[in-house]
Amino acid sequence: MSKPCLLLVDDEERILRSLAMLFRAHYDVVATTDGVEALKVVRSRPVHVVVSDQRMPAITGVDLLRQIRDHSPRTMRILLTGYADLAAVEASVNDGEIFRFLEKPWDALKLQDAVAQAADIAHAEFAEPIRVAPPPEAIVAARVLVLDEDPSTAMLVRGLLPPSCAITIATTVEAALARLGEAEHAVILAELKHGSDDVIGALKLLKQANPHTLAIACSSLRDGRLLIDLINQGQVFRFLPKPLGRELLRRALTAALDRHAQLAHDPQRARRHAVEAPREVSLPSRVMDYFRRIRENARQKAAS
Amino acid sequence: MNASMSSLPPVALAPAPPGDLAALIAPVPPLTPACTVQQAGERFLEPAVAGLLSLPIVERGRVLGCVTRHELMMRVYMQPYGRELHARRPVTALMNAAPLVIAVDSAIEAAGQLIGARIQSPITEDFVVTDAAGDYVGMGVVLDVLRALEARVGEHTRELESAYRRLKASQNQLIQSEKLASLGQLVAGLAHEINTPLGYVQNNVEMVRNHLPAAAETLAAYAGVLDAAGGDDATAAQSAQRLDDALAAFDPALCGDLASLLDDTLHGVHQIADLVASLKDYSRIDQARSENVDLHGLIESALRIGGHLLRRRDVQVRRQFGEIAPVTCAPAQINQVLLNLIGNAAQAIEHDRGIIAIRTQASGGYAMIAVQDNGKGIPPDVLPRIFEPFFTTKPVGQGTGLGLSICQQIVQAHGGRIAATSTPGVGTRFVVALPVAGRSGARA
Repeated sequence: MSKPCLLLVDDEERILRSLAMLFRAHYDVVATTDGVEALKVVRSRPVHVVVSDQRMPAITGVDLLRQIRDHSPRTMRILLTGYADLAAVEASVNDGEIFRFLEKPWDALKLQDAVAQAADIAHAEFAEPIRVAPPPEAIVAARVLVLDEDPSTAMLVRGLLPPSCAITIATTVEAALARLGEAEHAVILAELKHGSDDVIGALKLLKQANPHTLAIACSSLRDGRLLIDLINQGQVFRFLPKPLGRELLRRALTAALDRHAQLAHDPQRARRHAVEAPREVSLPSRVMDYFRRIRENARQKAAS
Repeated sequence: MNASMSSLPPVALAPAPPGDLAALIAPVPPLTPACTVQQAGERFLEPAVAGLLSLPIVERGRVLGCVTRHELMMRVYMQPYGRELHARRPVTALMNAAPLVIAVDSAIEAAGQLIGARIQSPITEDFVVTDAAGDYVGMGVVLDVLRALEARVGEHTRELESAYRRLKASQNQLIQSEKLASLGQLVAGLAHEINTPLGYVQNNVEMVRNHLPAAAETLAAYAGVLDAAGGDDATAAQSAQRLDDALAAFDPALCGDLASLLDDTLHGVHQIADLVASLKDYSRIDQARSENVDLHGLIESALRIGGHLLRRRDVQVRRQFGEIAPVTCAPAQINQVLLNLIGNAAQAIEHDRGIIAIRTQASGGYAMIAVQDNGKGIPPDVLPRIFEPFFTTKPVGQGTGLGLSICQQIVQAHGGRIAATSTPGVGTRFVVALPVAGRSGARA
């Protein structure tokens, strides 16, 4: 097996030299300070993993990663940034759909792990033929779970989805997990701020239990740190600020249902949503049982 | 009559809120039209009306007029035979048939205005108070109204003073929050500026450290080969094998790479040290002025701290520094001004050929700093307003609109001036002129 290709993009050449030295033993490293050059590389050869800086003169990292996604959807995208401003973190979720959000100064082992995992996933994907898009009817019958103490969220979702989509409403994590254990849901829309439940911890475990269910997080909490965790450990699919905008929510739901249909059609792609082990999640054991059930259901479904 | 008057508490006639006219009314029993001048004179001597300048003449509630103490004195008592001539005449003969009449529900201020317009100096008359139907209620004393007015003015003054203090405090708070907001942006920028070199410095040091044991082992293996040179074949073969193993783990060619990693590391450490030094310059919160401040140093420091603003669009900075003497100023404040101007200039540039020119020159005891950009410029209708507090063209939440206003305050506090010229589509130029000798020197 030839070395996977790792593309490094940063406006500071010394970062590139340093990273290249770190990775060149195991990767075919291409490094550039220029976003346009990076796009050329992605178009001209298979690139398994791209690690990009966020703040660069001509283009932001999120912008670059979004364009790379359009040109080479199988390339795994990692953002490596010196400062996590909230706008960048949000955009990296919603526009960049990145695999990991890592910060400078980086932990070499963690970075190497993330790149290695990303390279494995991309390697497997590049080896497979590209599958055609799934039939649209898959979207029509999907289930969406809304986890929010505020009933208006579910009403908004109901108004945006076709009547054929089933909407499950839950106001506690436990109730949500019980319903998720009963039936496969395509999308969970969850308000992060909950009176007593650890919604964030639950979303992280849920992604481990069933990577096919896509999470749309929404909250009036605007906390970059929390969101970075949700990317790395929860592979949250979209983040929407509250109050919810109709159009943004509609687009996020459509994209999530589309992606879920793709995953159902081509289950291998769920690998792309692999997560870091969460640091710690405190949930009662009863709740952990639900996760086991969800995981088993997901396995059986994958096997059948 | 006297008894009934004194038993009537004045407040009984004052249903209006305290402080209004009703509270000042003296419910004086009026004179009747049948009353003689003599009787009127006697009424004036009663202690209960000692404070009144005039008495009303009322018939069935209607006010016919007023007779004044002054009139009685001048026309009756002080005239020769005045008493003989007038004493038995009806008091109406001496009355003023058009006295000042004020409605009972009037505010003190309105009464004050009427009094000011009608009463002449010296004050010889008080005024009549009537109810909504125009019927007599009592007498009002001009002096009481004036005193009440004075008290009210004092109250207003105190209210104004406290409102002014509140405003001043909230202005200070806003200035503080503007400082905090710009500090927030500064921290964001600096975190990025520092984390970038820190990233490669840390990584490089780790890599060098990880290679070090292998490099040491390679050297030891070479030494072993040299030692074994004179020995037996088995030892030589063993040490050759050790060297081969060591070389597999560490290629001496790597030394060149490691050296350049260390060069980068040193560069990065210097960069971090520079940034920290600039930050120290910037954060000197002491308001104290320093003499002999090198403005060029302040400019470089502001450029370093604002570096991320410039790099965002790859803006070129052109320095055209002239000979300027060291200036007496508060360096932290001037730094704030410069950083603000450089930040604004960078934000105004929306294309990829951005240039910010910073020129300095001396002129007539002033050090001049010009910051010029080739950005989008400021429309002529906006330009005169840019130093106004809270004026902003940025979207809500992206600027307090205090930045330039604070710049102006700082520069003016230094005895200097700040001005802007701009051509839309071509660029904007800000000029700051600071007196070399500082504020007191400029005055002298």
